[in-house]
Amino acid sequence: MGTQVKDVVIKPDSPNTLLLEKHADYIAAYGSKKDDYEYTLSEYLRMSGIYWGLTVMDLMGQLHRMNKDEITEFIKSCQHECGGISASIGHDPHLLYTLSAVQILTLYGNVSAIDVEKVVEYVKGLQQEDGSFAGDKWGEIDTRFSFCAVATLALLGKLDAINVDKAVEFVLSCMNFDGGFGCRPGSESHAGQIYCCTGFLSVTGQLHQVNADLLGWWLCERQLPSGGLNGRPEKLPDVCYSWWVLASLKIIGRIHWIDKNKLRSFILACQDEETGGFADRPGDMVDPFHTLFGVAGLSLLGEEQIKPVNPVFCMPEEVLDRIGLQPEILVPHPTHESCGGTMTRGPTHVYLSVCLSRL
Amino acid sequence: MAESEEEVDVLVQRVVKDINSAFKKNPNIDEIGVIPCPEARYNRSPIVLVENKLGMESWCIKFLLPFVHNKLLLYRQRKQWLDREALIDITCTLLLLNADFTTAWNVRKELVQCGALNPEKDLYLGKLVLTKFPKSPETWIHRRWVLQQVLRQCRPCPQGAEHKEMGQVEQGQAQGAAQAEQLQRLLQEEMQVCSDAAGRYPSNYNAWSHRIWVLQNLARGNLKILHDELSSMKLWVSMHVSDHSGFHYRQFLLKALVGEITQAVEIPCAALQAATNQHCAHWPNEDGLVTATVPELFDDEMELCTDLIETYPGHETLWCHRRHVFFLWHHWRKEHLQSGGHPPSPLNHTDEMFGSSLDASLDRSVQAMDIDLAPDSGRQGGYTQDTKRLKRGPMQACPGLPSEHSFVTKILHSCRNTEQGRFAAAYRKWLDSVIGQ
Repeated sequence: MGTQVKDVVIKPDSPNTLLLEKHADYIAAYGSKKDDYEYTLSEYLRMSGIYWGLTVMDLMGQLHRMNKDEITEFIKSCQHECGGISASIGHDPHLLYTLSAVQILTLYGNVSAIDVEKVVEYVKGLQQEDGSFAGDKWGEIDTRFSFCAVATLALLGKLDAINVDKAVEFVLSCMNFDGGFGCRPGSESHAGQIYCCTGFLSVTGQLHQVNADLLGWWLCERQLPSGGLNGRPEKLPDVCYSWWVLASLKIIGRIHWIDKNKLRSFILACQDEETGGFADRPGDMVDPFHTLFGVAGLSLLGEEQIKPVNPVFCMPEEVLDRIGLQPEILVPHPTHESCGGTMTRGPTHVYLSVCLSRL
Repeated sequence: MAESEEEVDVLVQRVVKDINSAFKKNPNIDEIGVIPCPEARYNRSPIVLVENKLGMESWCIKFLLPFVHNKLLLYRQRKQWLDREALIDITCTLLLLNADFTTAWNVRKELVQCGALNPEKDLYLGKLVLTKFPKSPETWIHRRWVLQQVLRQCRPCPQGAEHKEMGQVEQGQAQGAAQAEQLQRLLQEEMQVCSDAAGRYPSNYNAWSHRIWVLQNLARGNLKILHDELSSMKLWVSMHVSDHSGFHYRQFLLKALVGEITQAVEIPCAALQAATNQHCAHWPNEDGLVTATVPELFDDEMELCTDLIETYPGHETLWCHRRHVFFLWHHWRKEHLQSGGHPPSPLNHTDEMFGSSLDASLDRSVQAMDIDLAPDSGRQGGYTQDTKRLKRGPMQACPGLPSEHSFVTKILHSCRNTEQGRFAAAYRKWLDSVIGQ
């Protein structure tokens, strides 16, 4: 019996143009519904929510519509005695929200609003003997937190505060046979973790340690016939995974290995024409998270109405230029440009594989 | 929504109480869920207990969640005092509704630390939460923290052990046995929690990586457990051929087993014993444990993979599994079998074939593979695989590049499934470029 490929079908009447204005209105209005039940439900990640909203507004040239002073005050009141920053007032500090807060303040060019030295101490204090990072004082280890740590420090210009060699050693110990990375040694490869690990290796200048062809191959295999990308084999395509896979490919210089036009159509189809915003898949409910990753993905695909985005920090390139931060990006591999070439190795994305099976 | 703030307060406090009395009334609640019910219809509690299932009518959630949420945050900001009992109740209700509220889990960690909350009760809440939110990363993270606390308690206390009187020694031994038993129970319970969550959500990354963590932390280096897991997973993966995480777990088991068996072969017996004791002090020694040789393990795994690929065409997960298993085998063989340069001669040591102890020699693994090649090898071991191996005939041996290529060719010739063809072609390309370099 045949199997249905786990994918979506993009309907002919799906949106196929970029509705920038609608998206800006959607994000601008999002924060005003504070009594919302949904708003309570997501308060545990508020700081990241604000980072998603502000970054997408900045990428669309609309950052001025957000309330800089209010947000800065909010972040200040989320910094704790230990230096760490929490998702919201009254919540506990965590590396995830410390990074989001530092990203927001970098967008606004006012990191000095918080006690930077204490942030550095906090991050430093979370590094373990084996080089890994705990997410908070309770000790959970994950390569996501390695990324949060070095990204935070790099934005603050303090990468030398930690043992970078040890940190690199740990992340590399999470590399798998398929070139991908998981959350801990021995864990399954996952596009989100791969994004964190390639981002980590970019920030620390260690991308030569990645097997870019092998990893690029695995990442390209995430592309489905709809054009969307999934995060692991036999999962549905998703706008956020499209970003994580695409950004990873960009970082390792293999973004040209996927079908960009198809991916663009998939991302555009995930817009909601009425409310604005992007959903994970066509027809689903929109949210700020997928809206950022939809817009950022289109930027990486070369959309000119959006500011160029940095694949490592998921922030406008101009913001990083401002602070003089240039994370490493591998130069695109010239020999694997198309599936008609004489490749002996390299991508097997969906279309290429079809080509092969006809040989 | 004409309810006044006071009315809401009263209502919500009633509901929190109802939830906690439901748990007291039935300590065996094994699943929670929301009952779709947009309006309160009768003057009755929205908390419904039917057998071991706890349901909550959906209308009350929009009142309940903000109430418990704000209450906990006020406490966290030291604006409102809550005693330990109240904290346990409030965090319980909160987490049943919003499983990723990290701070609520942290409050419970503090309660465990100060002895106000029994870690096993906390694990029970986590298990229930996972019935409704099987992916919830914060629930899994909290679980690992609690398990570490329990493990710390389980570890025998080394101080002053030498100075014990006779009676104390016996007592110590009894205690050790009780701890080992507790650990065993804990391990079984965790595996069950992982299985349930894996069944509720396909390719559940958090559930499977938790399972790996459990093995790494509760049963490191324990051959018997690795073996048991591998055999009990066989049926599971065969029934979940799209579950990449489940198959990855199997790959993890295989790699761990190969590592352990290889190590057992290479390290002299005494050193191994010491190493084993160090790694899994709580476990009884598995005397007489039947250990398959490395080539047998790979052979069986490739056979399973072939069966599944042929039975369920077009599943990417199965082809990924094949890549990983073949990759592991290829490298193991390169390192351990071809170093001498010449193939070992088969049929000479048939009687040594059934090595069942840890000190099986490296040679034996080599012979096992070659004996498989020999027709009528006359094996009569206790392996269930043997019967199968005999049935499928003598030619099936541990795979190499040529046999993999013929497998792909066979699939490409016979299949009418486009996906299957695509995956087979990609596998061939992978063999050429990654293995065949």
